[in-house]
Amino acid sequence: MGLMLRSNALNLLFEDRFCLTLVVLARSQIESRNSHQVKRAASMFFHIVLERNMQLHPRHFGRNLRENLVSKLMKDVEGTCSGRHGFVVAITGIENIGKGLIRDGTGFVTFPVKYQCVVFRPFKGEILEAVVTMVNKMGFFAEAGPVQIFVSNHLIPDDMEFQSGDVPNYTTSDGSVKIQKDSEVRLKIIGTRVDATEIFCIGTIKDDFLGVINDPSAA
Amino acid sequence: MNGKNSLSPSVSRIQPDDPPSLPREFPHPQSRRFHSSSAARPPPCTVHPPPAAPPPPFAPPHPGESTVYLSPLRCVSPSATNDSRKPIISSVFISTTNGLFDACATTRRNPTDSRPDLRSFEFSAADSSISASNPLRLLAASSSSQLIRSIRIKMSLATNSPAHSSSSDDFAAFLDVALDSHSSDSSPYEKAEHDNNAESERIKRRKVEKLENSEEDILYGAEEKSLEVLSKQQLCSHPGSFGNMCIICGQRLDEESGVTFGYIHRGLRLNNDEINRLRNIDMKNLLQHKKLILVLDLDHTLLNSTQLGHLTPEEEYLRSQTDSLEDVTKGSLFLLNSVHTMTKLRPFVHTFLKEASQLFEMYIYTMGERAYAFEMAKLLDPKREYFSAKVISRDDGTQKHQKGLDVVLGQESAVLILDDTENAWTKHKENLILMERYHFFASSCHQFGFNCKSLSELKSDESETDGALATILKVLKQVHSIFFNELSDDLVDRDVRQVLKTVRSKVLEGCKVVFSRVFPTKFQADNHHLWKMVEQLGGTCSTELDRSVTHMVSTDAGTEKSRWALKEEKFLVHPRWIEASNYFWKRQAEENFPVEQTKKQ
Repeated sequence: MGLMLRSNALNLLFEDRFCLTLVVLARSQIESRNSHQVKRAASMFFHIVLERNMQLHPRHFGRNLRENLVSKLMKDVEGTCSGRHGFVVAITGIENIGKGLIRDGTGFVTFPVKYQCVVFRPFKGEILEAVVTMVNKMGFFAEAGPVQIFVSNHLIPDDMEFQSGDVPNYTTSDGSVKIQKDSEVRLKIIGTRVDATEIFCIGTIKDDFLGVINDPSAA
Repeated sequence: MNGKNSLSPSVSRIQPDDPPSLPREFPHPQSRRFHSSSAARPPPCTVHPPPAAPPPPFAPPHPGESTVYLSPLRCVSPSATNDSRKPIISSVFISTTNGLFDACATTRRNPTDSRPDLRSFEFSAADSSISASNPLRLLAASSSSQLIRSIRIKMSLATNSPAHSSSSDDFAAFLDVALDSHSSDSSPYEKAEHDNNAESERIKRRKVEKLENSEEDILYGAEEKSLEVLSKQQLCSHPGSFGNMCIICGQRLDEESGVTFGYIHRGLRLNNDEINRLRNIDMKNLLQHKKLILVLDLDHTLLNSTQLGHLTPEEEYLRSQTDSLEDVTKGSLFLLNSVHTMTKLRPFVHTFLKEASQLFEMYIYTMGERAYAFEMAKLLDPKREYFSAKVISRDDGTQKHQKGLDVVLGQESAVLILDDTENAWTKHKENLILMERYHFFASSCHQFGFNCKSLSELKSDESETDGALATILKVLKQVHSIFFNELSDDLVDRDVRQVLKTVRSKVLEGCKVVFSRVFPTKFQADNHHLWKMVEQLGGTCSTELDRSVTHMVSTDAGTEKSRWALKEEKFLVHPRWIEASNYFWKRQAEENFPVEQTKKQ
C-alpha cells in the first residue's frame, strides 16, 4: 500500500510527462497484489538522493543564490540519463547544499548539492506499456517516455504477420489483433541500455498476457 | 515462461490432495496464472510425433544403458532390456536443431532404491565440457522452446517409481509419451499414480517437490545472469542489434557487425543473414500485392534545389513566387529556410508518385544530408504515405560516393532504380533507369557545365504531360505489367532486370547505326558509351557503309559518310538522338535532331 500511495503521488506530480508509464506502475501493483505476486512488482521509478557539483556564475550571488542554484540544477539534470540511475524525471527536493568553493581565476563557485529526485530506469524482465511509434518488416518500435523499445519480429507471436501498405501493421490471421502506429502494447523488457540522453530497450510480446492493450483503429 | 506454462498442469495433478500446509504447493504465484490460461491456449510449442526409425546420431549405447535421443523433432528410444537388479544407467541425449547444444545426461540408479537420483545427473556437452551437478541448471540454460522438452524429461524420470517400473524401457516409453503428448496430457502421471501404492506415492511426491524447488530456483532465477549469458551465447545467433543489444536475446553486443539501418531507426543494425531472411519474406509479401520496389533519387530526378546564396539576379523574382508550405501538394516551388534552399519540384512529380505508389514500394535514396532528405520527403510526401522510414541519405550508405542496394530491404531482382547519375550505382546498373537531369536553377546548370540559360531564367519549365517523369512512368508501368502478366516462369524466379533489358532493347530495334566524327580517332569504337547504348537499346552498330544501314550518327554534315547518308536518303542524326531515345525509352523523331555543317569544313 505504501508503494501504491507513492505512485499515486508521483502520478499527480508528473502526470503530464509519464502518465502512461505511471499508470502501468499503479496497475501492475494492483495486479501483483491480486495474484500475491510480490516479487514481480514493477519498480521502474525510484526516489533517490544524488549529488552533483554545481558551478555557479558570480552574477547569481546574492539573495536568490539558492533559487538560482536550484533552477540551474533542474535545468541541468532533469531529462538527462545516467547509465547507473536511469532517466531523471524530476527533482523533488534539496537535501543540502555544501560549502561553496571559489575557483581560482574565474570567480565561479562550486557547490556540492545533494538532491532528491525521481528516476526512471527499466530493468530486464519488467513489463512495460508503451506506444508504438513505427511498424516495419523488422518488427516495431515503441516509446514509453524516454525509453525507445524495439520488438523484433522474432519476438512477435508467430501467428501475427506483417502487412505492408499505407498503415503497416502486424495482424493475426483472423484480423482480431492488430499492431500499428499509435497502438498501445504491453511488452516485456529483455535487454536495456542507458545512454546519455536515451534509454534503449529490447522488448518481447511473445508471452502470455503481452500484446496490444489498446487499438487506435478500434477506437 | 513456456516451461512454466507446460509444467504447471501436471504438477497440480500430481499433488491434488496436498495439504495446504505443504510449502510450495504452487511454486510461484505466477504459475497459477499460467495454469489457468494454459487450458484455453494451445501450448506454445508442440512436439511432433517421432518418425518411424531415424538413425540415432550418436554412438550405439552401452549395454545396460537406455539411451534417448531428443531433438525438437523426434524422440527415439532404442529399447534395451534391463535387469532391475543391476544398476541402471539412464542416459538422455539432448540435441537441438541448431546443433549448438548437444548434451548427454546420465543417471545411475541404485538397484535397491531405483528412483533415479536426479541430483546425480551428469551433463556433458558434446563440444565442450559443460557439466552441472544439477541437471536442471543446464536444462534451464537452453532456450524456452527446448525448456519444455527438458522439463518433460525430468517429469518422466520423476514418475519412474520403483513399483511401477524398474526397467529403462518403461523410462524410455515414458519419455515417448511425454513428448508426444501435449503439456495438458497427463496420462503418464495418472497411470503412474494408479499403479503406485501410497507409500511410493508419498516418496514420489516428495521427489517431485524437490524437483519443483530446484527447478523453480532455476526458472525464476532467470535473473541469474551468468546462466542467461551462457544460454544466449550458445543459442542466439544475434541476427541484429538495436542500441548494441541483440534484437532477440537482449544481450549486450560489443563488436559492431552487420549493416547499419540508421534510416529506419538510430542504432539499428542487421546481419546479412537477417537481411536475407527479411528480403525473402518481403519478396513474398510484395509479389502477393503485385508490387515491386522503386528507389528514387531526389536531386535532378524528382526535384531541383539551389542554395539561397546561389540564386542569380535573374532568379530573384522566384522569391516572390514561392508556394506556401501549408499545403505542399498544390505548389512546386518552395523556400526552405531551415536548410537554406529553394526547391523546385519537377513537373508531374505528384502524379508520378501517386501512380507509382500503386505499383511499387518506394524508397528515397539521395546523396544529400539527412536533414535535407527529410525536408524533401516532406515536400513530396506530406502525409507520409509513400516513404515512411524509407528515406536513405548519404549518412546511411555503406560506401562513400556510392549508392548501394545493401541498405534497401528488397530482393535485387525486384528493385528498379530511378537516378540521374549512373556512376553512383556501379554495382546495380542493371536495375537502373537513367533519368534526364532536371535543371531548373542556374546554379544547377553551371554545376554540370552548361552555359545556357536555365529554365528559371527563361521562366519556363518542363512539360507536365510529356516531361521526363511522365515518360518514365509509362516505362515503369510497362515493366510492371510485363513482370506480373507476361512472364511465364514462377513469380519468385522472375527478374525485373531481365524485363528492363528486354524493354530497353525494343527502343531502337531494327536500326543499324554508323557513326561519323563521333568517336575520337584511334578510339576503340565498340568501347564508346554511345556504341554500347545503341546496342542496349536493341540497335546494331557498324563501321561499314552498306544498304542495311538506317541511321548515320554524326556531329558534322560535311563528312564523307554524312554526305553518303544524304545521298542514300538515310537518316542523318545528331548523337543526341541516341541519348534522347535512351532517356525517353522511345525512338525519337529523327527530324528533331538535325546535323549542322561546321563552317570549318
